[in-house]
Amino acid sequence: MKFQIFQGLNDAGILGMNRRNAEYIMRYNARARFPLVDNKVLTKKLAQRYNVPTPEIYHVIEHHGDMARLDEALGDHKEFALKPARGSGGSGIILIVDRNKKGFVRQSGMVMSKEEFNYHISGILSGIYSLGGQEDVAIVESLIHPAPVFVQVTFRGVPDIRIIVYRGFPVMAMTRLPTRASDGKANIHAGAIGAGIDIKTGVTLTAVHRSKVITHHPDTGNSIEGINIPYWDSMLLTAAKAYEMTGLGYIGVDLVIDIKRGPLLLELNARPGLQIQIANNSGLLKRLRSVDDAFPDGNLLPEERVMWVKDKFKTD
Amino acid sequence: MKIRQPVTILAFTLFAITVSIIMYRIFWLKYPIMPTIPGQVWQLNFEAGILPDGGQVVTTVALPSERAGIVITEERIASETLGFNIFQEGGNRVGLWSGTTEKGVASISYRATLLLRPKRFPVSQIPSVSIDIPDMTDRELLFMERIGKRWKGFDPDTRIKAVASFLREREDEFGFDREDLLDWTKLKESHGILNATLILFRTAGLPARSISGLLLQRGVQTSPSVWVEVWNGKEWQSIDPLTGQIYDPSTLLALATGNVPIIKIENGKILETRWSLEREIVSKWRLHFERLKRSQHSIDRWSFFSIPEEFQNLLRILLLVPLGALVICLLRNVVGFPTFGIFMPVLLALAFRNTGLMYGIGIFSSVVLIGYGARLYLDRFRLLLVPRLSVILTLVIICFGLFALIGGKYSLKPLMGVGLLPIVITTMSIERFFILIEESGTKEALKTAAGTLAVAVITFFIVQWEPLQLTFFIYPELLFSVAGVQILLGRYTGYRLSEVIRFRVFKG
Repeated sequence: MKFQIFQGLNDAGILGMNRRNAEYIMRYNARARFPLVDNKVLTKKLAQRYNVPTPEIYHVIEHHGDMARLDEALGDHKEFALKPARGSGGSGIILIVDRNKKGFVRQSGMVMSKEEFNYHISGILSGIYSLGGQEDVAIVESLIHPAPVFVQVTFRGVPDIRIIVYRGFPVMAMTRLPTRASDGKANIHAGAIGAGIDIKTGVTLTAVHRSKVITHHPDTGNSIEGINIPYWDSMLLTAAKAYEMTGLGYIGVDLVIDIKRGPLLLELNARPGLQIQIANNSGLLKRLRSVDDAFPDGNLLPEERVMWVKDKFKTD
Repeated sequence: MKIRQPVTILAFTLFAITVSIIMYRIFWLKYPIMPTIPGQVWQLNFEAGILPDGGQVVTTVALPSERAGIVITEERIASETLGFNIFQEGGNRVGLWSGTTEKGVASISYRATLLLRPKRFPVSQIPSVSIDIPDMTDRELLFMERIGKRWKGFDPDTRIKAVASFLREREDEFGFDREDLLDWTKLKESHGILNATLILFRTAGLPARSISGLLLQRGVQTSPSVWVEVWNGKEWQSIDPLTGQIYDPSTLLALATGNVPIIKIENGKILETRWSLEREIVSKWRLHFERLKRSQHSIDRWSFFSIPEEFQNLLRILLLVPLGALVICLLRNVVGFPTFGIFMPVLLALAFRNTGLMYGIGIFSSVVLIGYGARLYLDRFRLLLVPRLSVILTLVIICFGLFALIGGKYSLKPLMGVGLLPIVITTMSIERFFILIEESGTKEALKTAAGTLAVAVITFFIVQWEPLQLTFFIYPELLFSVAGVQILLGRYTGYRLSEVIRFRVFKG
């Protein structure tokens, strides 16, 4: 079915929600493998097996009883992140930068009492933040100290890098930059900026904020374009390997760059959003189809796939 | 794409099933296609008083039957004191009232709604009518032989005209003469006008029969009329034996065929008979409701008309729920409306039926807002998920209770209907509304709420639309097609209308 009104989208090779669901997610992402990416604990275990670095886990709280052992598990670590294992879009995440007698100091500077902290964990365990509303577990892991690469264009929070991987090919990428509006979350729905990345060079391109194309960060006023992202090739390779890791053919790979440890795999997403197309000012469908055209079967190594996309999807 | 083929085949198989069952109903079972009516509807009322003279009184009255051009859509036979039944006697339907009554006049009554559709039921088979020909004198036989020879070369229609001119006793091109008149008058005298007419048609070589019935006109008739029907090779024509006039068949209502009295009684006396006829304006659908109830076809027996009426009303709505779901598929996947939950708008739409649209939206919105306020307040107490939802559920019930009380106080019926608003759904919307505001901001939450209400309203109008309800009720096989469209929509991989806006930067 072709309608005149959709001609523009069609010409630009935009991937729509329906096609993403029917022809990519349902076709390439086996339902049975979803827990591997929906549950961050499983994702981390998987990543370890493939030698992909992730933030270090201090403690996993599965039951209310596990809360008591938190202090012991934290040991000397003053700072950490508390996350729901099945959370999505950054909801339910609390970043603690310090601990004192009153309780926990959040990144925003607010102090969270022990009681409030435990209430939040209870919320996570009862499944408020989990995708399907089912019971969840809470993860306490090392806090990420983002590399300074995006410091000029970040308002608090941790910027991350999202790479769409189709059949093991990293086809499109963007970086998500927290804003005041997004409350430090790298979540585009919540108001974070999405900036496209040139697959070949790892240099940022156009950016989108609340469906508008922008060139400068609304809070810091600095230019978003032309930032050279370090470790780019290694991140592309990690993303490509996620295909072998999970067996999922259409995923979003979220990475962060830690100042000490370099690129870390933060999480995987089996239903990655479509905003990345706006951030890159480029249609995903075009790229997915060129992968299919070039490799109908495809038995390439991750390194070969990265080579191929770098050549194919360079931005002029 | 390979996957597509079987899906299309499945969907079109479902369409084909629907079409074939509907065709079967329309062409074999004569279901109406459109709710407007091309025929005439008459309401027949028969009443009679009977005076029993002791012992078992048995009264039979000829009733209308489903013959060419007449459909009985509703009938009721009754008596206060006598037992009654309807059965078939020869080619006629008769009502039978019988029993012993202590004293006084017993009344019997019969009521029927008749649909006349002269063009719909052509008689295809050639009738076989045996007429009892009474003994005839030699002179009469000679007379018949004479005119029989004269009419031999004529086609049936001309022969009918020739008989009619005999009945009119007027000279005409067929050679009616003085001698004929003499013989004809004698024939009438010795056999009666009706039998004489039947003899004439037999002489003409045309099947004929006498009919007792009513003239189809508004008003009361106290005695039935009698006429003769003759087969012209294609259809029955009705002729008045007294005047030779050929009737328009749509002006007559036959009750009894053959030489049978329209009313018979044993052990009693008929005091008074009244047939009253009234034109009615009835929708075609209603007629079919009534007809289907009494249908002999197994497909009709298994129709939803066979279940008690109070459940029928519920089913009427339920049959439209899949259509509501289909609308949601369309609005979500093709248009791109955001909604809370997937089928919540359908449930809301169903609930609006009890409260009315304006009240429904008002009540729902205010309960969600009150609930939101409460949720905001509860947040500080750090309740766990399930207990927290329970508290909100309780609050929702309290709100509904209050609405019902207010409604009762001020006699506002719609407010009392709130109890049927889906309680759990309302509770969950409060929670989702809250979380959406927290996560994606008020704007997104309001957008989703507006989308939900819009979809609910659209679904409401679809579910409320009576012609559609009836269509699905009469043709429930339409559900197969609904499933077919749903399946096809499931394979719709094109863009959503909302994506034109979302990705507008790419335009041109």
